Amino acid sequence: MNELSRAQIRDLMAQVLKNQDKELPGDDAAQLREIGFRSLDFSELALRVEDETGEELNFDAPGLRRIATVGDVLDFLVELQHQ
Amino acid sequence: MSEPADTQLVPPSSVVLVSGGSRGLGLAIVTDLLDAGVRVAAFARTITPELEKLAAEHPDRVHVGAVDVTDLRAAQSFIREVEQHLGPIDGIVNNAAMGQDSLHAHTATDDIARIIETNLTAPLQLTRLVIRRMLAKGLRGRIVNITSICGQRGFPGLVAYSATKGGMDAATRSLARELGGRMLVNSVAPGFFASEMSAVLGPTQLDQIVRRTPTGHLTEPAEVTPVVRMLLREHTNINGQVIVVDGAASV
Repeated sequence: MNELSRAQIRDLMAQVLKNQDKELPGDDAAQLREIGFRSLDFSELALRVEDETGEELNFDAPGLRRIATVGDVLDFLVELQHQ
Repeated sequence: MSEPADTQLVPPSSVVLVSGGSRGLGLAIVTDLLDAGVRVAAFARTITPELEKLAAEHPDRVHVGAVDVTDLRAAQSFIREVEQHLGPIDGIVNNAAMGQDSLHAHTATDDIARIIETNLTAPLQLTRLVIRRMLAKGLRGRIVNITSICGQRGFPGLVAYSATKGGMDAATRSLARELGGRMLVNSVAPGFFASEMSAVLGPTQLDQIVRRTPTGHLTEPAEVTPVVRMLLREHTNINGQVIVVDGAASV
């Protein structure tokens, strides 16, 4: 399977934010609430990852609710690709 | 269709089939109906110790079975068993359902199909089986569909689920018309429960709902069972309605 690395996902996340004139901080501990990355932005990012890998990433909302930092987003998407 | 109205009253149900009767609201409905002296047939995918206990306590008034509501053939033979053990079914509570907690865009297509099959197709099929038996025997009866506030109001993460619940509410109205007063057909639409299926909403969403609820609390199964019992047992002229039990959270 064509899998994206954490760094590649980080690049895509930066693009999602850039489209909204927002910036992705380099720190993984940065809070999503502070940078304005919301749940539909996560959807957009997940779908961009899907486009790159050609594999659907389906997930439940509880997993989504636990995500609070940039690092959480990257970890979750890396993990989802393994499911 | 405009035909002369059938003015004979629909008697209280005496043998009631409850789908998904092994836990949560379903189990509460089974228990409540037994307390009211009704004979109850309950099935669920797996029979819980609680349901087993009720069956042991009331061997002549309870019939239980491990039946998946989507398995029509199994449901059909269960209905035959029930008729032999308890007598003809003259009431049904469509309660079995599966929840959802995923954004529509990220819900697997198989999961969407399963939700629709369990929550919409299966109860329509089961209702069809039971009304065929009732019509063939010239019986009058009551049908109660347990739906949800999601059938009328929007909640994120519950798109397919809401579609099935709204679908059952719509079926309730058309069935009430079609059955021309020989059967009373209604929906009971609870708000969110604090337990079980409300794992479908996060704690923040639940807190928000509680804050917006005039009665100040989420709905409990014990607040829903009297409404179901009334629709099955009392002489009312309520037919084709969706009765919301949510403390006015949605009003």
